[in-house]
Amino acid sequence: MQYLAGGGEDPLKGKLEILASAAKYDVACTSSGTDRHNDGTGTGNCFAAGICHSFSSDGRCISLLKILFTNECIYDCKYCINRASNDVPRAAFTPEEVVRLTLEFYRRNYIEGLFLSSGIIGNPSLTMELLCRTVWLLRNRYQFNGYVHVKAIPGADPELIRAAGFLADRMSVNLELPTAEGLRALAPGKHRKNILTPMRQIQTGIRENQSDLVVYRNAPRFVGGGQATQMIIGATPENDWQILQVTESLYQKFELKRVFYSAFVNVTGDRALPSLPGGPPLLREHRLYQADWLLRFYGFQASELLDESRPFFNVMLDPKEDWAVRHLEQFPVEIRRAPLERLLRVPGIGVKSARRIVAARRNADLTFQDLKKIGVVLKRALYFITCGGKMMYPVKLEEDYIVRNLTDVRERVRFGSDGMTYRQMSLFDDGRFTGAVSAAEQRQAAAGQF
Amino acid sequence: MTVYVCEDSLEGIFTGIYRAYEEKRDRADTMLSLEDEPMLFAEHVKVGPDRSRAAKVIRTLERRFGQEDYLSLCMALAADDPGKAQAVYKTVARGLERNSAPGHLFDDLADGDVHRAFSLARGASREFHHLQGFVRFQEVEDKVLYSAIGPKNNVLTFLMAHFADRLPRENFVLFDDKRKLFGIHPAGGSWYLLQGEEDLKPRPCPSEEEERYQEAFRGFCRAIAIRERYNPQLQRNLLPLRFREYMLEFQ
Repeated sequence: MQYLAGGGEDPLKGKLEILASAAKYDVACTSSGTDRHNDGTGTGNCFAAGICHSFSSDGRCISLLKILFTNECIYDCKYCINRASNDVPRAAFTPEEVVRLTLEFYRRNYIEGLFLSSGIIGNPSLTMELLCRTVWLLRNRYQFNGYVHVKAIPGADPELIRAAGFLADRMSVNLELPTAEGLRALAPGKHRKNILTPMRQIQTGIRENQSDLVVYRNAPRFVGGGQATQMIIGATPENDWQILQVTESLYQKFELKRVFYSAFVNVTGDRALPSLPGGPPLLREHRLYQADWLLRFYGFQASELLDESRPFFNVMLDPKEDWAVRHLEQFPVEIRRAPLERLLRVPGIGVKSARRIVAARRNADLTFQDLKKIGVVLKRALYFITCGGKMMYPVKLEEDYIVRNLTDVRERVRFGSDGMTYRQMSLFDDGRFTGAVSAAEQRQAAAGQF
Repeated sequence: MTVYVCEDSLEGIFTGIYRAYEEKRDRADTMLSLEDEPMLFAEHVKVGPDRSRAAKVIRTLERRFGQEDYLSLCMALAADDPGKAQAVYKTVARGLERNSAPGHLFDDLADGDVHRAFSLARGASREFHHLQGFVRFQEVEDKVLYSAIGPKNNVLTFLMAHFADRLPRENFVLFDDKRKLFGIHPAGGSWYLLQGEEDLKPRPCPSEEEERYQEAFRGFCRAIAIRERYNPQLQRNLLPLRFREYMLEFQ
């Protein structure tokens, strides 16, 4: 089902469409990280898990009113649809218009809050000031208590970024490209240093604020939902190993909440950019997200997943399966005894099911049936686990064999053999009736036992 | 075997649990049922809802199992399933017997009844979470916001609490189309539920401004999608078709 096109000439609607369309390549549309009730005077609250309000036809969630303040831009980044030399319709909101749209959408429950980014109009500080003013109006004049995500504009006055931090729930600075060389090649106006400075500033701000909050419970919160960033995948020749290293250091050194990946879509047709006849590298993006989760929730290190000699993710297996089949010496894992950290490393067991296993095995001897109830994906896990010392089916703990089964017809193992697995059924040539009828069968048939 | 036949409501089922405990029945030989279907060799006892007894049960559940697990039990009872009363009763009895610590009532998922209650609660709370996002209000007369929903589980109560916290200064009405149940929130006041008065249902008479915002949001949903990533299958997985009937961007 697609959204139906509608007529009508509404200037605000036209503007909204231009500026939403210009913002669509920004990935982050999450509304998580803040839990805040309404005190009965304002509009809105926040919900720590975040709420998705709709899903667009590309399957991405619509949680926030994701718009650019303006798509005018002084920069000429080669990958960007809003670059100065591109001939696209331009528009700009006023702070009041953004505020009105946000509030009217919010009370009809279309959105969870506002995601405000912008092209650079005039200079970075001017742009940041406009963003600040918009959010200030929303928060202070209209008592908007919902979620606000604001971009920190690299190169803007640190004081403005600080002010925005006290108004927003989440801030982000886009890294754009994973390496400094890539940035230099494609974004002539931007420098890695300029991007990392506000990122560091926000990190320091959050840290200081946390110690303030310990002392003064009602101190204003600075970027309570944490900081995020995003990078474009596939526009420059970096490999997955480099990207994952960058990600890991962003999490460790800059304490980011999220790193987003955006599969490159060639919208400008610039000759410095790769053409992608097969569409955007969506599988690569997917693998990176899987690895990102492994880093954040499963206790993996980037160096365990990839290394210099294997710089790309396996296309057939997800990163966890891939790690597991290369480390068979650590398997099988005994479900009834293994510690949580080892359970987390089994393919097919996620964070929730690992916790449930640990809780449930206190009361009962778990069986494979119970694991299914708990939510373990047995078709992936069965090669790597034992329950009470037994595996589910007779499987060989052998790399080739497991890879073949994880990737091929997964039911194969059920028959305990590696040979024939399936064939076309037919009504007329049942294999069991080829041999001659034995005397025993004749007796059974006569006694009506068939 | 004793079968307590209770009314299908939080109060009704909690009163049933109270009765089963009051009469000191053997847990293995007791059932809570919602419909009065005769069973062989069973004694049927009708239990009407009783507010004070239900309140006692609620107090015990909250004290013994904690707020979170109590809410999960309520979610399980909001589910649309004939076996929910029995599953919740068994789970509660098991938890009380084994002295589950707060937050650990649903630990023992290997047990059939606990798992049943757990998955009912999970189903209902997932639908609740979906609807927190998928409800679409439209403005009708006098700036009143109105929305209809058609949920599988009876999650209107939870939604009302959510929206009352979110929009305390709005007059809004949520209408459960399946159960003909209204949730009404007057601005600045506390919300309440109203059963079955179909004529209360406001006729949508969208003002020009209302239509403008609806159209703007439809445009926004179209503009935000990336054509190169078109993936209706993923969209359908995340936003099942049954919700779309009530969502303006799909109309």
